[in-house]
Amino acid sequence: MSTPASTPGTERAEPSGTAARARGLTKAYGAGETAVLALDAVDVDIARRRFTAVMGPSGSGKSTLMHTLAGLDSVSAGQVWLGDTEITGLKERELTRLRRDRVGFMFQSFNLIPTLSARENITLPMDIAGRRPDPEWLEHVIDTLGLRDRLRHRPAQLSGGQQQRVACARALAARPELIFADEPTGNLDSRAGLEVLGFLREAVDALGQTVVMVTHDPGAAAHSDVVLFLADGRIVDEMAAPTAEAVLERMKRFDTSQGTARATGTAPAAAPGNPGHDSVRTDPGARGASPGPAPGATAPPPAPPAPEAHAAPPDAEPRED
Amino acid sequence: MLKATLRSFLAHKGRLALSALAVILSVAFVAGSLIFSDTVNRTFDRLFASTSADVAVSPKDDGLDESLPTGRTPTLPARVARQVAKVDGVAATYVDVSVENVTVVDGDNEPVGPTTGAPTVAVNWYKSERSPVELTSGHAPRGPGQALIDADTADKRDVGIGDTLRVLAAPGSFEVKVVGIATFRTTNPGAALVFLDTRVAQTALLGDEDAATSIAVDAATGVSDAELKRRIAAELGPAYELKTADEQAESAAAELGGFLDVVKYVMLGFAGVAVLVGVFLIVNTFSMLIAQRTRELGLLRALGADRRQVRRSVLIEAVLLGVVGATLGLGAGIGLAAALIELMGLLGMNLKSTEMVIGWPTPVVSYAVGVGVTFVAAYLPARRAARVSPMAALADAEIAGVGRPLRLRAVVGAVVGAAGVLALVGCATADRTATSASLLGLGVVLTLVATVVAGPLLVRPVIRVLGGAFPAVFGSVGRMSQRNALRNPRRTGATAAALMVGLALVGGLSVASASMTKSFDEQIDKTLGADFVVQSGSWLPFPAEVTAAVRDTEGADTVVRNRFTPLELRMPDGRTVKSTAAGYEKDLDEVVNVTYAEGDTARALAAGHIAMDQDFAEDHGVRVGTVLPVRFPKGRAAELTVGALTDQDTAEGPGMSGGLFMGLGTLEKYVPDGQDTAVYVNAAEGTGAGTLRDRLDAALDPYPQVQVRDQADYKELIREQIAVMLYLVYALLGLAIIIAVLGVVNTLALSVVERTREIGLLRAIGLARRQLRRMIRLESVVIAVFGAVLGIALGLVWGVSTQQVLALQGLKAFAVPWSTVVAVVVGSVVVGIVAALLPALRASRMNVLEAIAHE
Repeated sequence: MSTPASTPGTERAEPSGTAARARGLTKAYGAGETAVLALDAVDVDIARRRFTAVMGPSGSGKSTLMHTLAGLDSVSAGQVWLGDTEITGLKERELTRLRRDRVGFMFQSFNLIPTLSARENITLPMDIAGRRPDPEWLEHVIDTLGLRDRLRHRPAQLSGGQQQRVACARALAARPELIFADEPTGNLDSRAGLEVLGFLREAVDALGQTVVMVTHDPGAAAHSDVVLFLADGRIVDEMAAPTAEAVLERMKRFDTSQGTARATGTAPAAAPGNPGHDSVRTDPGARGASPGPAPGATAPPPAPPAPEAHAAPPDAEPRED
Repeated sequence: MLKATLRSFLAHKGRLALSALAVILSVAFVAGSLIFSDTVNRTFDRLFASTSADVAVSPKDDGLDESLPTGRTPTLPARVARQVAKVDGVAATYVDVSVENVTVVDGDNEPVGPTTGAPTVAVNWYKSERSPVELTSGHAPRGPGQALIDADTADKRDVGIGDTLRVLAAPGSFEVKVVGIATFRTTNPGAALVFLDTRVAQTALLGDEDAATSIAVDAATGVSDAELKRRIAAELGPAYELKTADEQAESAAAELGGFLDVVKYVMLGFAGVAVLVGVFLIVNTFSMLIAQRTRELGLLRALGADRRQVRRSVLIEAVLLGVVGATLGLGAGIGLAAALIELMGLLGMNLKSTEMVIGWPTPVVSYAVGVGVTFVAAYLPARRAARVSPMAALADAEIAGVGRPLRLRAVVGAVVGAAGVLALVGCATADRTATSASLLGLGVVLTLVATVVAGPLLVRPVIRVLGGAFPAVFGSVGRMSQRNALRNPRRTGATAAALMVGLALVGGLSVASASMTKSFDEQIDKTLGADFVVQSGSWLPFPAEVTAAVRDTEGADTVVRNRFTPLELRMPDGRTVKSTAAGYEKDLDEVVNVTYAEGDTARALAAGHIAMDQDFAEDHGVRVGTVLPVRFPKGRAAELTVGALTDQDTAEGPGMSGGLFMGLGTLEKYVPDGQDTAVYVNAAEGTGAGTLRDRLDAALDPYPQVQVRDQADYKELIREQIAVMLYLVYALLGLAIIIAVLGVVNTLALSVVERTREIGLLRAIGLARRQLRRMIRLESVVIAVFGAVLGIALGLVWGVSTQQVLALQGLKAFAVPWSTVVAVVVGSVVVGIVAALLPALRASRMNVLEAIAHE
C-alpha cells in the first residue's frame, strides 16, 4: 500500500497488493454555483488483507469515498478499480453484479432483511446470485462469529450486537474481495462495538479478508492497520499502526485548522471511554448534519510522507481498547 | 394541531391518491344515479304534464297484474264520450285509441319499431294541444290505408312519405301508406309511434268501431280538474276509472318508475360495491400511514398532545380526504349522468343533457357518502393512532413485522362464521322457499363478515401453501416475497378482502346460474316434446294470423296453442291467490310431457276445469273435485273444478304460483280478447323436421316478432335470458376488481415506501432491479391469488346454498362452472402482475444511496 499522494499517476499498481484503487476520483453534487465537491481528485489504494479505516469530520467525504469505491455511487470524474476491473463506466446491471459477487457490506443500522432468518440473511447475496455457499467456509464463518445457536432467529429476535455479527457474517460468507463497513459500531454500546471490531480484525487476520471501515470513532479506528484521514474531499493524512490517542490528536488538529472556517463544530462523536475527548466541542445537534465543506476553506495541512510500513505482520500492531 | 393536520394531509396527498379514487368512484355512482333519475323524472313530468288531459276516462282497473302479457287491450265504449260531453263544465271530449302490442314492418318484413324492448304504439290521430307530436310534413291520415310515423323512427329506419308499411295488430294485419311525419315536441320516450285515423284505429286495432282505450276530457274555463272529475263520476257511476291530469301524470310516472328503478338500482349496486371495496382500501391506507408515522405521532404525544387530539387529527385528515373525494366524485357523477343520458339517446330516449337536473339531495348525499365512508374507514386506524405511546418517538422501532395479536378477530370471526354456516345449513334444509331464501341472505352476509374479519388469520396458513413453492422456484427472491405477504396479515387480509368480495359474488352467482341452466336444460329435455315452438323471444303475444299461418303450413300436424291470463282464486282455506294461468289445446300430451299426481291431461283440460301443482293444492286444502271461485280480467267470475294435480319439477315461475293451467276453451270463454303466446308444432308423419322448419320459417317471414325454435334453440333462449342477468353481475364484478386492483397497488406502493431502507440494502448487496421487480410482483400475485382463493371458496359455499334454494323451486341440478373458477384464479394472477407494475417500477427506480442513508 502506498500513500495516494506518493504514487500519483501510477497507472499500474501491483494487482496482488491492491484490492481497490482510485485515481483522480472526484464527486460533485449539484451543479454551477451551488455545486459541492464531496471528493476532490482523490487518489487512493486499498491494500489487500489489510484493515483500513477512513476517518474525517462530518462532510469530509468519507461516506462518499466508500460509496464510490463500492460501486454504489457514480463518479463525476476519475477512475476506480476493484481488483483489476475498472468499475467507473460500468453499467448499472454490471455494478449490481459486481457488488453481489465481489463486495461485502456492513451498515450502521438496518443491515438485515427482517423477514429472513439469520442464516438466510447470511447467505442472501449468494442466494440472489443463485450460487451455493461453500459449506465449510460458511460453517467456519458462523462459528467464528459465534452465531451457531442464533441461525434460525429473525433479526427482531436478535440484539443489536448479534445483528451486526450476522451482517458481518453475511459480508464474509461470500468471501468477497473487499468488505465495506459504514460506521458498523455506530449504533452499538461499547461492549458490542468492541466485539464487532474484534470480528472485523479477525476477518483480516485469520480469514485473510480486506476491510475498509468508515468511522468517526477514534477508538474504532485504532483497530485498523492504517487510517486514512479525509477533509474537504481530500485525503490529507494517513496513519499506520494507529492508537486511539494518536487518531484523536490528529482529529483535533482538523478542528483547530478548520475552526476558523467552520461555524459549527464537526468533532467526532465521543467514543465510549475515549480518553482526552474534548466534550465541550462536541455538539450533539451537529452530529449527523453534514454541511458541505465551505468553499475556500483553509487548505488542510499537507500529508506527511507515508512510510511503507504496512507490510509488517498485523499481529505486530499494538491493540488498544 | 389543525395546522399540523393540514400539513400532514398535504404531505401525504400522493399516498392518499388511490384512496381518493375509491371515494370518487363511490360518490360518482351515487351522484350519477341521482342526477340521471332526477333528470329523467323532470323531463317526463314535463312531458306528462303537457300531454295529460284535464280528466281522462278509462276502463276500470281489474286489479290483476299481467306478469305475462295476454295481448288484451282494455277498452270502453266510445259513446261514453258523448255522455261525458253533456256534463256541465266539459269543454270538449276526445276518443283516444292507443295500442301498444303492435308490430309494424316495412316492405322487407323488417320491424320499424325499436329493437331495445321499447314498444311500438299505434295511436289515433287528432289535432290537440296536448299531443306530444306535431305534424311537420305531409298531411293527417284520412281514412284507411294512411298513417303518420314519428320523425325519429322515420330517420332511423329510413322511412319516408309514400312508403308502405304493414301493421300487425290483434284483429289482423293491414297495409298503410305513410302520408306524413310527426315530430316530438318534447322528449321522445323511446317508443315508435304510428298514427291512424280514429275510425281506422278503432276497427283495425281494437276490432270494434265503438271502442276506445280512453276518453280525454277538456275542462271549461273556471272548472277545476278535481271538480270536473267529481261531476263526470256522478254522471257515469263507478263503471270507469277517472283521473285528473295530475293523477295521470302520477301513474304514468309510476309506470316509468319501474324502468327507472332498474337503472337506479343498478347504479346504486355499483356505488355499493365501490363503497364496500373502497372501505378496505381506505382502512389500509390510513393504517399504513399511521404505522409509518408512529414516531411522528409519538413526538406529538410527547410534546403534549392528548389522545383525543391525535385521534381527531387523523379523523380530520380522513374528512378532508372525504370532502376532496366527494367534490371530485360529484363532478365525475355529472359526467356519468351525461354519459347515461347519451346512452339513453342511443336506445331511443332523447333526453337533453343540457337540461340536467341537480337537485339539492345530490350534493348532500354525495358528501354524506364520501365523508361518511372515509370517516368510518379511518375510525379504527385513528383509534390505533391515539394509542401510540410518547415513547414511540424515542424508540428506533422496526415497524415491519409488528403484529398485534389477532385473538379478538379469531373470536369474532369464529362466532359470526359459525352463525353464518348455521344459517346456510338452515337454508339448505328448509323446505319453504321464503324461509330458505331469507336464511340464504343472512348466511351470505354473516359468512362474508366472518371471512373479512378472520381474513388476516387465514393469511398465514393459506399463503404458506400458496407461496410454498416460491422459495424452491424463485430462490430467496421468492422467499422474501412470500414472507413480505405474510409480514402484516392484517394488511394482506384487508387488501385481499377487496378482491374476495367481488369474486365471492361471481363464484356464487356463476354456480347458481350454471345450476339453473343445467336444470332448465334437463327439464326442457324432459318436458318439451314438441318438434318446434313458435313464440316471440320476450314472451309477447302475437295475432291470430300467426297461428293460422302455422296451421296452414304444409306438414304441420299437431298444433297446440298456448295463452296466459291473470286470475284470482279464492282457495278453500280462505286465502285469495293472484296468479297467472296457462291455457292449452287438447293435444297437450303430444307436445309437452306433464307428470300428474292425480288425474290426466283430458281431465285437466276439460271444460270448466283447472289443474294445479299438488304441493300448492295441499297448502291450500284443494283436492281433485274442489270447486274454486275464480275472477278473470274485466271482473268476469267463474267457478272452476279442479280436474287434475301435477307433480312437476318446475311448476312455478315468477308471478305464476300454483302452476295453474286449463283448457284453452275455458280460458277463451272468460278471456275472449287475448292473443296466443306460443304455438307448439309437431311434424306430420313423413315430413322431416328440417323440411318443416324451412316451411315454417318461410310461412312466418311476414311476422318478424315470432321465431321458430326447436329444443336446442329453446334451451339457448333460456340460457340467454339467464346470461343477461350474469352480464350485469360481471359488470359489477369488473368495477369491484378495478377498485381491488387499486387496493393492491395502494398497499404495495405504501409498502415499498415503508421498506425503502430494506430495498436499499437489498440493492446494495447486489439484488438486481429485475429481481427486485420480481419480488414485488410475486408478493402482489400471492396476495391476489389469496383473495381469489378465499373469494372462490366463499362463492362456492354460497353457490351450493343458493342451489338448495333453487331446488325448492324445482331446479334440482347442480353444476360448478369449473372453467369460470379456473379463469378467475388465472385472472387473479394477471391482476396481481398488473397491480405490481407501478410499485415495482417505483421500487426499482429507488435511489440506493438515499435508501441506505442513515436517518
